[in-house]
Amino acid sequence: MLNVSIHKKLDHFILDTHFEIKQGITGIIGPSGCGKSLTLQSIAGLQKPSSGKVVLNNHSLFDSGNSINIKTRHRRIGYVFQNYALFPHLTVKQNIAYGLKGMKKEVIEQKVAEMIETVRLAGYEHHFPSQLSGGQQQRVALARTLVTEPELLLLDEPFSALDYHVKDILEQELLAIIRKSYSGIVLLVTHNLEEAYRLCDHIILMDKGKVIQYGSKNEILCKPANVRAAQIIGCKNIFPIDGLYQEEHLISVQIGKIRLYTHPSERLDAQFMGIHAERIRLLEAEHFDTHLLNVFDFTILEMLDGINHLNMKVQIANSDIVINVHVMKETWRILSHKKLKIQLPAGHICLLM
Amino acid sequence: MTELNLFPLFLSLKVAGASTILAMFIGIPIAYYLSRSNGKLVDIIDTLFTLPIVLPPTVLGYYLLILLGRQSAIGKFLEGYFDFTIVFTPFGAVIAALIVSIPFLIKSARTAFASINPNIIQAARVLGRSEIDIFFTILFPMAWRGIVSGLTLAFARALGDFGATLMVAGSIPNKTMTMPIAIYDALLAGNRDLANMLVLIMTMVSILVIYVINRLEKKIVKGGI
Repeated sequence: MLNVSIHKKLDHFILDTHFEIKQGITGIIGPSGCGKSLTLQSIAGLQKPSSGKVVLNNHSLFDSGNSINIKTRHRRIGYVFQNYALFPHLTVKQNIAYGLKGMKKEVIEQKVAEMIETVRLAGYEHHFPSQLSGGQQQRVALARTLVTEPELLLLDEPFSALDYHVKDILEQELLAIIRKSYSGIVLLVTHNLEEAYRLCDHIILMDKGKVIQYGSKNEILCKPANVRAAQIIGCKNIFPIDGLYQEEHLISVQIGKIRLYTHPSERLDAQFMGIHAERIRLLEAEHFDTHLLNVFDFTILEMLDGINHLNMKVQIANSDIVINVHVMKETWRILSHKKLKIQLPAGHICLLM
Repeated sequence: MTELNLFPLFLSLKVAGASTILAMFIGIPIAYYLSRSNGKLVDIIDTLFTLPIVLPPTVLGYYLLILLGRQSAIGKFLEGYFDFTIVFTPFGAVIAALIVSIPFLIKSARTAFASINPNIIQAARVLGRSEIDIFFTILFPMAWRGIVSGLTLAFARALGDFGATLMVAGSIPNKTMTMPIAIYDALLAGNRDLANMLVLIMTMVSILVIYVINRLEKKIVKGGI
């Protein structure tokens, strides 16, 4: 279990993070400069918080109240840096053995050999980092860390230094290695929501030095806590609510001239509503179920051609509300010549504070 | 032609060698410190160690005379307790050479230390190594190229020093007369043949030394990075 509660004041920035992680892989997401990396560095002892606590598996690593500040080298934390920070003058084998100083030579040999096997770098033992591909370098960085059996593994933007076309494969590889040979807590920093969603069990959303939401990845995605959280997870449609009404089994909200229905929620004092552009459906106007809620006529204002999606801006008829809609190209090919309506499915409308 | 006295040549090599070794032990820690911190103290130390490059060697020599001469506190202390004098001895020549040459090592080593990605040092810390350990396993090997070129420059500068050495160690034949001083001395005495010979030897030795050091440097650096 990792318990973090830190406060750090910098010149133009205040970091004020509080969270508790039990097990598994947790991702910290947020825009650049939100304090993600600073949080990792504070946990590892590479930065000293002004005040607060860091407790890992009941060991206090930092506690300003009791003047505890364990040195980085004694924290038993693994850290994989953004650009891996491999030792350029040491071979793969020497890099991996670096953290095992003080153990018997045979033990080191054996552990390193096993780890090289795990990360599939056999045959590269005597190569220097500069002779390796990006993915191989990443595996050396991971191996170098995992071989020391840390209680907590910190990954700082592990894929940002890699080419786009190899990212997916390497993500799976990294995940497989971690799941297979590591049982501790993993904390991963990224600014990529997709990446976080694929790799993590839980997600911490950060903005301007503060944790704005913490929960399972589905919860974060479906129920962002507030407007900022919704923006960070890429919600393209956010509107102020003009009125919120509780009805029999539903809640309805007034947005300008239109009325939208959504599922019951405890957030009755919500100020905004949001819906992901991908969640909005296109229906054939001729035969659609008239019981469906939130169905509107619309006109297309703009269309942007993506690889798999069409990004459209549409205006709802008889209102000045403009909505972003992402449609699969395949779907559009079938529907484009028909008369259409759009639906904002009630289950996907989230109320925001 | 009288027999050629090669004492000044060997003295010059010995003085330059000794001052370079001393520079290594004093200069590398200073360079490391300068590369890691950025307080006011750093600026002061940096200025202090850049001064010998800017000031005329005679001025440096003059300061050293005042600081280490027999009338100075340090001079009196060394003479009183250890019966040891610095000025007008070969040791004085080493000190003079050290002062004029150490800035070159410090500059070069400092740049080398500073160019190491801080994350690499952080990574070593996270992997459980102590600061001293990190210095010898990561920083020193990674900065080695810069350190070696700094040492080469320092040695070359020490070998060629004239002004500071003359002020501190004088020009006592067969005791403190280094090669550059011997050349000046020969010229003053009107002995052109000797001066020519010494200049030729000095030039050849310098070329040889730099060549050997460069080869050595390439060999050492080849190992990594």
